[in-house]
Amino acid sequence: MSYREKIAWLSLIAMAVAYGPYFVLVARGPSPWEPWPHLHPLGLFALVSIVRMLILGAGYLYLRLGSPREERPPLDERDRAIEQRSISAAYYVLIAGMILVGCVMPFSSTGWTIVNAAIFWIVAAEVVHYSVVVASYRLQASS
Amino acid sequence: MMHGSISNRIRTLRFMNGEMSQAELGQRIGLTRQTIAAIEAGKYSPSLEAAFRIAQVFNVPLGEVFQWHAEATPPKVS
Repeated sequence: MSYREKIAWLSLIAMAVAYGPYFVLVARGPSPWEPWPHLHPLGLFALVSIVRMLILGAGYLYLRLGSPREERPPLDERDRAIEQRSISAAYYVLIAGMILVGCVMPFSSTGWTIVNAAIFWIVAAEVVHYSVVVASYRLQASS
Repeated sequence: MMHGSISNRIRTLRFMNGEMSQAELGQRIGLTRQTIAAIEAGKYSPSLEAAFRIAQVFNVPLGEVFQWHAEATPPKVS
Protein backbone atom coordinates (compact mmCIF):
# COMPACT_ATOMS: atom_id res chain seq x y z
CA MET A 1 0.00 0.00 0.00
CA SER A 2 1.44 3.38 -1.01
CA TYR A 3 2.06 6.18 1.46
CA ARG A 4 -0.68 8.31 -0.11
CA GLU A 5 -3.22 5.52 0.16
CA LYS A 6 -2.35 5.13 3.84
CA ILE A 7 -2.89 8.87 4.33
CA ALA A 8 -6.30 8.62 2.62
CA TRP A 9 -7.26 5.69 4.89
CA LEU A 10 -6.12 7.68 7.93
CA SER A 11 -8.27 10.65 6.86
CA LEU A 12 -11.29 8.38 6.38
CA ILE A 13 -10.82 6.76 9.79
CA ALA A 14 -10.40 10.16 11.47
CA MET A 15 -13.64 11.33 9.81
CA ALA A 16 -15.56 8.25 10.90
CA VAL A 17 -14.28 8.29 14.49
CA ALA A 18 -14.81 12.02 14.99
CA TYR A 19 -17.94 12.85 13.02
CA GLY A 20 -19.81 9.54 13.38
CA PRO A 21 -20.55 10.04 17.11
CA TYR A 22 -21.06 13.79 16.52
CA PHE A 23 -23.94 13.27 14.11
CA VAL A 24 -25.46 10.56 16.32
CA LEU A 25 -25.48 12.99 19.28
CA VAL A 26 -26.79 15.85 17.13
CA ALA A 27 -29.60 13.67 15.76
CA ARG A 28 -30.82 12.96 19.29
CA GLY A 29 -32.42 16.37 19.47
CA PRO A 30 -32.10 19.85 20.98
CA SER A 31 -29.56 20.84 23.58
CA PRO A 32 -30.44 20.01 27.19
CA TRP A 33 -28.41 23.04 28.36
CA GLU A 34 -31.22 25.55 28.22
CA PRO A 35 -29.48 28.60 29.74
CA TRP A 36 -26.82 28.53 27.01
CA PRO A 37 -28.40 26.74 24.05
CA HIS A 38 -25.42 27.41 21.77
CA LEU A 39 -22.78 26.19 24.19
CA HIS A 40 -23.59 22.50 23.86
CA PRO A 41 -23.37 22.22 20.04
CA LEU A 42 -20.37 24.57 19.92
CA GLY A 43 -18.55 22.62 22.62
CA LEU A 44 -19.39 19.34 20.93
CA PHE A 45 -18.11 20.58 17.58
CA ALA A 46 -14.90 21.89 19.18
CA LEU A 47 -14.36 18.52 20.88
CA VAL A 48 -14.93 16.64 17.64
CA SER A 49 -12.49 18.91 15.78
CA ILE A 50 -9.84 18.37 18.45
CA VAL A 51 -10.35 14.58 18.36
CA ARG A 52 -10.00 14.59 14.56
CA MET A 53 -6.84 16.69 14.70
CA LEU A 54 -5.34 14.41 17.36
CA ILE A 55 -6.07 11.28 15.30
CA LEU A 56 -4.64 12.89 12.16
CA GLY A 57 -1.57 14.21 14.01
CA ALA A 58 -0.80 10.88 15.66
CA GLY A 59 -1.48 9.02 12.40
CA TYR A 60 0.75 11.28 10.31
CA LEU A 61 3.54 10.95 12.85
CA TYR A 62 3.21 7.16 12.94
CA LEU A 63 3.15 6.85 9.14
CA ARG A 64 6.03 9.28 8.69
CA LEU A 65 8.23 7.51 11.21
CA GLY A 66 7.29 4.12 9.77
CA SER A 67 7.99 5.06 6.14
CA PRO A 68 11.51 5.83 4.93
CA ARG A 69 11.95 8.91 2.74
CA GLU A 70 12.05 6.87 -0.48
CA GLU A 71 8.56 5.54 0.30
CA ARG A 72 7.26 9.11 0.41
CA PRO A 73 8.04 10.40 -3.09
CA PRO A 74 6.59 13.67 -4.40
CA LEU A 75 3.27 13.53 -6.29
CA ASP A 76 3.53 12.13 -9.79
CA GLU A 77 1.04 12.33 -12.69
CA ARG A 78 -1.01 9.33 -11.49
CA ASP A 79 -1.31 10.79 -7.97
CA ARG A 80 -2.43 14.10 -9.47
CA ALA A 81 -4.97 12.37 -11.74
CA ILE A 82 -6.40 10.47 -8.75
CA GLU A 83 -6.54 13.69 -6.73
CA GLN A 84 -8.33 15.50 -9.57
CA ARG A 85 -10.87 12.69 -9.98
CA SER A 86 -11.59 12.53 -6.25
CA ILE A 87 -11.99 16.30 -5.93
CA SER A 88 -14.39 16.34 -8.91
CA ALA A 89 -16.55 13.64 -7.29
CA ALA A 90 -16.52 15.45 -3.93
CA TYR A 91 -17.42 18.75 -5.61
CA TYR A 92 -20.74 17.35 -6.89
CA VAL A 93 -21.64 16.08 -3.41
CA LEU A 94 -20.70 19.41 -1.85
CA ILE A 95 -22.60 21.53 -4.38
CA ALA A 96 -25.73 19.35 -4.04
CA GLY A 97 -25.51 19.61 -0.25
CA MET A 98 -24.98 23.36 -0.30
CA ILE A 99 -27.97 23.89 -2.61
CA LEU A 100 -30.07 21.87 -0.18
CA VAL A 101 -28.73 23.70 2.88
CA GLY A 102 -28.73 27.19 1.41
CA CYS A 103 -31.77 27.19 -0.85
CA VAL A 104 -34.19 24.60 0.55
CA MET A 105 -33.61 24.24 4.29
CA PRO A 106 -34.13 27.92 5.23
CA PHE A 107 -37.83 27.47 4.35
CA SER A 108 -38.29 24.62 6.81
CA SER A 109 -35.47 24.73 9.41
CA THR A 110 -33.52 27.20 11.49
CA GLY A 111 -30.35 27.65 13.55
CA TRP A 112 -28.26 24.62 14.42
CA THR A 113 -30.25 22.30 12.19
CA ILE A 114 -29.00 24.23 9.17
CA VAL A 115 -25.47 24.52 10.60
CA ASN A 116 -25.28 20.78 11.25
CA ALA A 117 -26.70 19.99 7.82
CA ALA A 118 -23.94 22.14 6.29
CA ILE A 119 -21.31 20.32 8.38
CA PHE A 120 -22.83 17.00 7.33
CA TRP A 121 -22.52 17.79 3.62
CA ILE A 122 -18.97 19.06 4.02
CA VAL A 123 -18.06 15.82 5.83
CA ALA A 124 -19.90 13.78 3.19
CA ALA A 125 -17.91 15.52 0.43
CA GLU A 126 -14.66 14.80 2.26
CA VAL A 127 -15.65 11.16 2.74
CA VAL A 128 -16.36 10.87 -1.00
CA HIS A 129 -13.02 12.57 -1.75
CA TYR A 130 -10.96 10.13 0.34
CA SER A 131 -13.08 7.12 -0.68
CA VAL A 132 -12.40 7.81 -4.36
CA VAL A 133 -8.68 8.18 -3.58
CA VAL A 134 -8.61 4.84 -1.74
CA ALA A 135 -10.70 3.08 -4.42
CA SER A 136 -8.50 4.46 -7.23
CA TYR A 137 -5.27 3.30 -5.57
CA ARG A 138 -6.84 -0.11 -4.81
CA LEU A 139 -8.06 -0.58 -8.39
CA GLN A 140 -4.70 0.38 -9.86
CA ALA A 141 -2.62 -1.57 -7.35
CA SER A 142 -0.83 -4.53 -8.83
CA SER A 143 1.95 -5.30 -6.38
CA MET B 1 -15.45 5.84 -31.92
CA MET B 2 -12.74 3.23 -32.35
CA HIS B 3 -12.41 0.82 -29.46
CA GLY B 4 -9.27 -0.99 -28.45
CA SER B 5 -6.76 -1.67 -25.75
CA ILE B 6 -3.19 -0.71 -24.99
CA SER B 7 -0.52 -3.22 -24.08
CA ASN B 8 3.11 -2.63 -23.25
CA ARG B 9 6.46 -4.38 -23.15
CA ILE B 10 7.93 -2.54 -20.18
CA ARG B 11 8.56 -5.73 -18.20
CA THR B 12 10.47 -7.27 -21.12
CA LEU B 13 12.40 -4.07 -21.78
CA ARG B 14 13.35 -3.82 -18.09
CA PHE B 15 14.62 -7.39 -18.25
CA MET B 16 16.62 -6.65 -21.39
CA ASN B 17 18.18 -3.63 -19.69
CA GLY B 18 19.91 -5.46 -16.89
CA GLU B 19 16.75 -6.32 -14.95
CA MET B 20 16.15 -2.66 -14.23
CA SER B 21 13.85 -2.30 -11.23
CA GLN B 22 10.50 -0.51 -11.34
CA ALA B 23 11.82 1.91 -8.75
CA GLU B 24 14.87 2.76 -10.89
CA LEU B 25 12.78 3.27 -14.01
CA GLY B 26 10.37 5.42 -12.05
CA GLN B 27 13.20 7.48 -10.60
CA ARG B 28 14.65 8.13 -14.05
CA ILE B 29 11.39 9.48 -15.48
CA GLY B 30 9.90 11.12 -12.37
CA LEU B 31 7.21 8.56 -11.54
CA THR B 32 6.71 6.43 -8.44
CA ARG B 33 7.36 2.68 -8.35
CA GLN B 34 3.62 2.12 -7.84
CA THR B 35 2.83 4.10 -11.00
CA ILE B 36 5.31 2.05 -13.04
CA ALA B 37 3.71 -1.12 -11.64
CA ALA B 38 0.25 0.16 -12.58
CA ILE B 39 1.43 1.05 -16.13
CA GLU B 40 3.06 -2.38 -16.55
CA ALA B 41 -0.12 -4.10 -15.42
CA GLY B 42 -2.18 -2.04 -17.88
CA LYS B 43 -4.15 -0.44 -15.06
CA TYR B 44 -2.98 3.09 -15.73
CA SER B 45 -2.32 4.78 -19.07
CA PRO B 46 0.56 7.24 -18.74
CA SER B 47 0.64 10.69 -20.28
CA LEU B 48 2.18 10.97 -23.73
CA GLU B 49 5.20 12.72 -22.19
CA ALA B 50 5.75 9.91 -19.66
CA ALA B 51 5.38 7.33 -22.45
CA PHE B 52 8.08 9.08 -24.51
CA ARG B 53 10.34 9.26 -21.46
CA ILE B 54 9.97 5.52 -20.87
CA ALA B 55 10.87 4.86 -24.51
CA GLN B 56 13.86 7.18 -24.20
CA VAL B 57 15.17 5.33 -21.12
CA PHE B 58 15.14 2.07 -23.10
CA ASN B 59 16.40 3.85 -26.23
CA VAL B 60 13.62 2.42 -28.42
CA PRO B 61 10.77 4.00 -30.43
CA LEU B 62 7.48 4.56 -28.60
CA GLY B 63 5.79 1.84 -30.65
CA GLU B 64 8.13 -0.76 -29.20
CA VAL B 65 7.02 0.09 -25.69
CA PHE B 66 3.28 0.59 -26.18
CA GLN B 67 1.03 -1.13 -28.68
CA TRP B 68 -2.55 -0.30 -29.63
CA HIS B 69 -4.85 -3.23 -30.40
CA ALA B 70 -7.93 -2.03 -32.24
CA GLU B 71 -11.14 -4.01 -31.80
CA ALA B 72 -13.08 -4.93 -34.88
CA THR B 73 -16.14 -2.71 -35.12
CA PRO B 74 -19.29 -3.87 -36.93
CA PRO B 75 -19.99 -1.97 -40.16
CA LYS B 76 -22.55 0.85 -39.95
CA VAL B 77 -26.01 0.03 -41.25
CA SER B 78 -27.51 2.94 -43.16
